[in-house]
Amino acid sequence: MEKKDIIQSFKDSLFTGLIALALFGPIVGLRTASKGEGLFITPQWGVVFLLVGLCIIGRFLINLNSARKTEITFFSKFTSKFSAITEDKAKHFAITAILFAAVFPFLPFTDRYFMDVAIMILTYIMLGWGLNIVVGLAGLLDLGYVAFYAVGAYSYALIATTFGWSFWICLPLAGVFAAFFGILLGFPVLRLRGDYLAIVTLGFGEIIRIILINWYEVTNGPDGITGIPRPSFFGLPFKRSPDEGETSFHLFFNLEYSTMHRIIFLYYLILVLALITNYFTLKIRKLPVGRAWEALREDEIACKSLGVNPTNTKLTAFAIGAMFGGFAGSFFATRQAFISPESFTFIESAIIVAIVVLGGMGSQTGVVLASIFLIGITEMFRDLEQYRMIAFGGAMVLIMVFKPKGILANRKPTILMHGDKK
Amino acid sequence: MSNLLSVENLTMKFGGLTAIDDLSFDAKNNQITSIIGPNGAGKTTVFNCLTGFYKPTNGQMFLHKEDSKISLRKYTDFKIAYVAKVARTFQNIRLFPAMSVLENLLVAQHNELMIASGYSLFGLLNLKTYRDKEQLAVDKAKYWLDIIGLTHRADDNAGDLPYGDQRKLEIVRAMCIEPRLLCLDEPAAGLNPKESAELNKLLKFIKTEKQTGILLIEHDMSVVMGISDHVVVLNYGKKIFEGTADQTKNSKEVIEAYLGVDE
Repeated sequence: MEKKDIIQSFKDSLFTGLIALALFGPIVGLRTASKGEGLFITPQWGVVFLLVGLCIIGRFLINLNSARKTEITFFSKFTSKFSAITEDKAKHFAITAILFAAVFPFLPFTDRYFMDVAIMILTYIMLGWGLNIVVGLAGLLDLGYVAFYAVGAYSYALIATTFGWSFWICLPLAGVFAAFFGILLGFPVLRLRGDYLAIVTLGFGEIIRIILINWYEVTNGPDGITGIPRPSFFGLPFKRSPDEGETSFHLFFNLEYSTMHRIIFLYYLILVLALITNYFTLKIRKLPVGRAWEALREDEIACKSLGVNPTNTKLTAFAIGAMFGGFAGSFFATRQAFISPESFTFIESAIIVAIVVLGGMGSQTGVVLASIFLIGITEMFRDLEQYRMIAFGGAMVLIMVFKPKGILANRKPTILMHGDKK
Repeated sequence: MSNLLSVENLTMKFGGLTAIDDLSFDAKNNQITSIIGPNGAGKTTVFNCLTGFYKPTNGQMFLHKEDSKISLRKYTDFKIAYVAKVARTFQNIRLFPAMSVLENLLVAQHNELMIASGYSLFGLLNLKTYRDKEQLAVDKAKYWLDIIGLTHRADDNAGDLPYGDQRKLEIVRAMCIEPRLLCLDEPAAGLNPKESAELNKLLKFIKTEKQTGILLIEHDMSVVMGISDHVVVLNYGKKIFEGTADQTKNSKEVIEAYLGVDE
């Protein structure tokens, strides 16, 4: 490496520092604090200089790295190795991951907190897999996916609290409702593409949320729905003291009562739901309709010229994607036992889209990795409170810098003429 | 030879601009009919009317089928390919680049496969009836790939093929819908002489072996004159000449308007 390059890199990183100073100065440096009457500004220049310093050093390191024209940073080494593993031994990786997920609740270090995070990650994985059908396969950028999550959750909550039906009846019904809303959204946006489609779907997500807030008679407005029935283990509820004539889970199996039973059950429930989503997606990708989705993503006009009906194809993508969103929504409702419109804001849609895009469009394994990475990192920095969104943003930037096409961007053909060569 | 397509008084106006002006011509089964003319003469517009992308302002287009005839005006969009069995290729290649060559050919057989898969239900259950149908579709794809010599690349992405192979692939993809009329929009554009010779061979094969009429837009005269049975010459949306390749070559109007004189 030449001296000139180093000086150039140094200059560039100083410039980066300047930009960082301009950004962090007002945002981080000037903190408002209320003392007595009125707000006062408390400067925190120490933090600012720390952040700016980090930016300068980081930029300098990246520059040095790219000047050498080799990828030696830990991260890219790690990811390229990782994608090599997952491509060659995709099956082994999947089986290991599923086995790990299956024994996870009984590992020695697993506690309540880990279980909650795992359930959350699995929920996002399921949502990511559902949205992957719409965005990854059919190429329809849907920024309002949370609407179907909300429809599923509210359908489940309303049916379960009104009719008192069991989880296993309400779940498919919630899926059907969500699929219906998927078609409802599908119709007006059939002719739209790209940015325009994204805007309309974004609007749709907001419409659903606003309806939930304002339709007080049905949805109970901003107060939300409480007392949503918890799922039971094949008719055995998870209660310390069951009602008259009922046997609860711990009594039936002669166990000490523990709240973990329910958590573990919920964990396996979402794991199974997510795996069903995955299995279904992998299957349907290899069917004519799945290929038509991908063809539609590639070139809609060519599709029409080959007699593929774009209307039906898009609507099935919306409906099936929405259905899985609805399933995830039901799970969310039964897990929380309380839902309100606040859980279904745009940020949720954004996170799910981010998971799909960062994972690598259309890649099922990518969704898993991106969910673990994004949700996991955000959780790890929970102590930083509002600053943890920086970790979220940072994780996104890292992926985009080192893997611009997503963590796993390789697509495998759905059918092979010559069989697997490897 | 029986009539396959008759275009009668076709007119297409975009606002004040008349792109096609009262055009009538016929195309026959198992023949190659070429449409030639200077840029902007309205050739591609004719294709877009025939294949349902535009709705003509005036005029009729009929596709003859044994004794009956169907009006192409009635079909729009994807139904032209699905019901009327009119297939087309595009001036700028429109393959599905991120999908494999084989997948490209299977998408072309989407409608049959969709029915065979019981709208995905039988397919999800992995029934034998569907698997057999899928195998038939793969066999058909292999048949066409053998003809254009791309079988060894069946599992590669279509976008990774060389340009000439992409052109050929687009044509056989259109053939996979078993069209009665195949509309090719400048298939020889950007091909070298060897590749256009191969293209000629492929088109001749389709013409003689399949129950398909070919409608061809082309600027490459070696292709047009080499394989056309019938030539229609357009200029400013009007038909200025119609005849065999030899007649066209020697027609004064055509030389003046389009072909030019060798120096």
